[in-house]
Amino acid sequence: MGYGAFLAMEAVILAVYKLEASQRQVRGLVERNGLEFGTYYSSLTITFTIMLLSMFLLGSIYFALVAGDIVAKENEDGNLRMVFARPISRLRLLLVKYTAICLYTFSFVFFVGISGYAMAVAAVGWEGGLFVLEPKMKVFAAYPDWWEGAGRLALSAAGIGISMITLSSIAFMFSCFKIKPAAATIITLTILFVDMILQGFPFFKPYESYFVTWRMSAWVFLVEQHLSWPKIIESYAFLMGLNISLFTIGWMAFQSRDFKT
Amino acid sequence: MLEAKRLCKTFNGKSALENVGFQLERGEIYGLLGHNGAGKSTSLGIILGMVAPDSGEVFIDGISVQKQRGKALRKVGAIFEAPAFYDYMSGWENLKVLMSYSGGFDEKAARNVVERVGLEKRINSKVRTYSHGMRQRLALAQSLLPEPELLLLDEPTDGLDPEGIKWFRDFILQLREEKGMTVLFNSHLLSEVELMCDRVAILREGKRVFEGSVKNLAYETPVYQIDFDKLDVAEIVIKKLNGEFLEPNRISLPASLDPSTAVAELVNAGIAVREFAPVRRSLEDVYMEILNGQGSPN
Repeated sequence: MGYGAFLAMEAVILAVYKLEASQRQVRGLVERNGLEFGTYYSSLTITFTIMLLSMFLLGSIYFALVAGDIVAKENEDGNLRMVFARPISRLRLLLVKYTAICLYTFSFVFFVGISGYAMAVAAVGWEGGLFVLEPKMKVFAAYPDWWEGAGRLALSAAGIGISMITLSSIAFMFSCFKIKPAAATIITLTILFVDMILQGFPFFKPYESYFVTWRMSAWVFLVEQHLSWPKIIESYAFLMGLNISLFTIGWMAFQSRDFKT
Repeated sequence: MLEAKRLCKTFNGKSALENVGFQLERGEIYGLLGHNGAGKSTSLGIILGMVAPDSGEVFIDGISVQKQRGKALRKVGAIFEAPAFYDYMSGWENLKVLMSYSGGFDEKAARNVVERVGLEKRINSKVRTYSHGMRQRLALAQSLLPEPELLLLDEPTDGLDPEGIKWFRDFILQLREEKGMTVLFNSHLLSEVELMCDRVAILREGKRVFEGSVKNLAYETPVYQIDFDKLDVAEIVIKKLNGEFLEPNRISLPASLDPSTAVAELVNAGIAVREFAPVRRSLEDVYMEILNGQGSPN
């Protein structure tokens, strides 16, 4: 069902992109920057938009749902009791589940990217470059060459995948607590939305780099014309540290729990 | 084979287990009896390391479950009242997943066990299509896959039809006979416990109030049907023998007392004894007496 929802969303974004009004707006944006509309109204640019929007609008809910379920739902259904009847340590079980959720999150982003690109190719053809304008993170980039654009798009997909692992890690941590699966999902989404809203307040502007969602947006830097690796590595190191902490807290909570009907 | 030492556990300030201990010898079938909330499942949870005791420890073959859970449970299988599987997978896939969590999937062993529990025709069907009995057989199959020496059964026959209960009982008894398996059987179905177990412990409100062999249980404090005259004199004689009148024509005597001595004492006191016969009490009678506080804690 999740895959279907994403495909439907991609189709909607594509349909909106094909509207004359949207095309007019993209044309204005591209031409105001001195670029040629024909080169950048392309499958690569559309795929970038699809990935950006679908991950923001649907991806956050979807990953929070899946990761929030992975331990809590099994506990609710009684599967964990069956698993714990076997000689497996709680840490090993969590490591297996966490690895699964990380791989799933990462590969799912590529599913969205590849399927989005396939749809975009069907709609506007495969040729053309990549145009990116992300005002919040102050990123502007234009790649007229398809190969270069496609390479950066793939790199950014990997970046989104890694960023989304943090979202999954938050939901995973809550899933390890003694709560309902839906609660794990809702708390995760609440935290991220509050983080995003607070980040937008002028008061917090100097501290924006301390916000999780700002760090998660660091993937956009991967499409910058000149890659600033220290900036990118700093953000991903922050996220990795956060992920390890979230896993550890989840593990501690899980380890100290009693499993009983 | 299994030793539970002074287990204590409280949940939200309410005591679930108080100093409960028991020991299972190799090849023995041991029953844990008690009504809901008596502490049976908590005991089993502690044995499996799912529940951390406030104090006390469980040893399986001398290895502490609390300190070395993985090692201690290597030769242990367990079944629960309502086994939960991944419904969207087949029985075979479920076995694969569960086995892979603990040391890897052995296809040959899995095939043998599936055949043994009689699931070979449906093992590739989705678990969501299984009846309760089939789920219980699948649970049995997974519990047998580490080739256990100790089997923990938590209300395994609940919800099964009489045929299923009989099949399950025969299967467990056969396993004990063939492999000398030790079984901890946790149930409130007294008839099943009576038919399967060698020894039982009765739990009441988290305390062990009785432990003994099932055979002797019914005669632990023997009860006799008696027909006589001179009730007032008889009461004195029976009291002197440390017995008591349960009903006007039913007495209990200490197990150590030879009943013929009691009859002789009554006759010597000038009582005409017309009938004196032992009453065979069922496990249920004894269980109810103990749970109602008539039995002496052991």
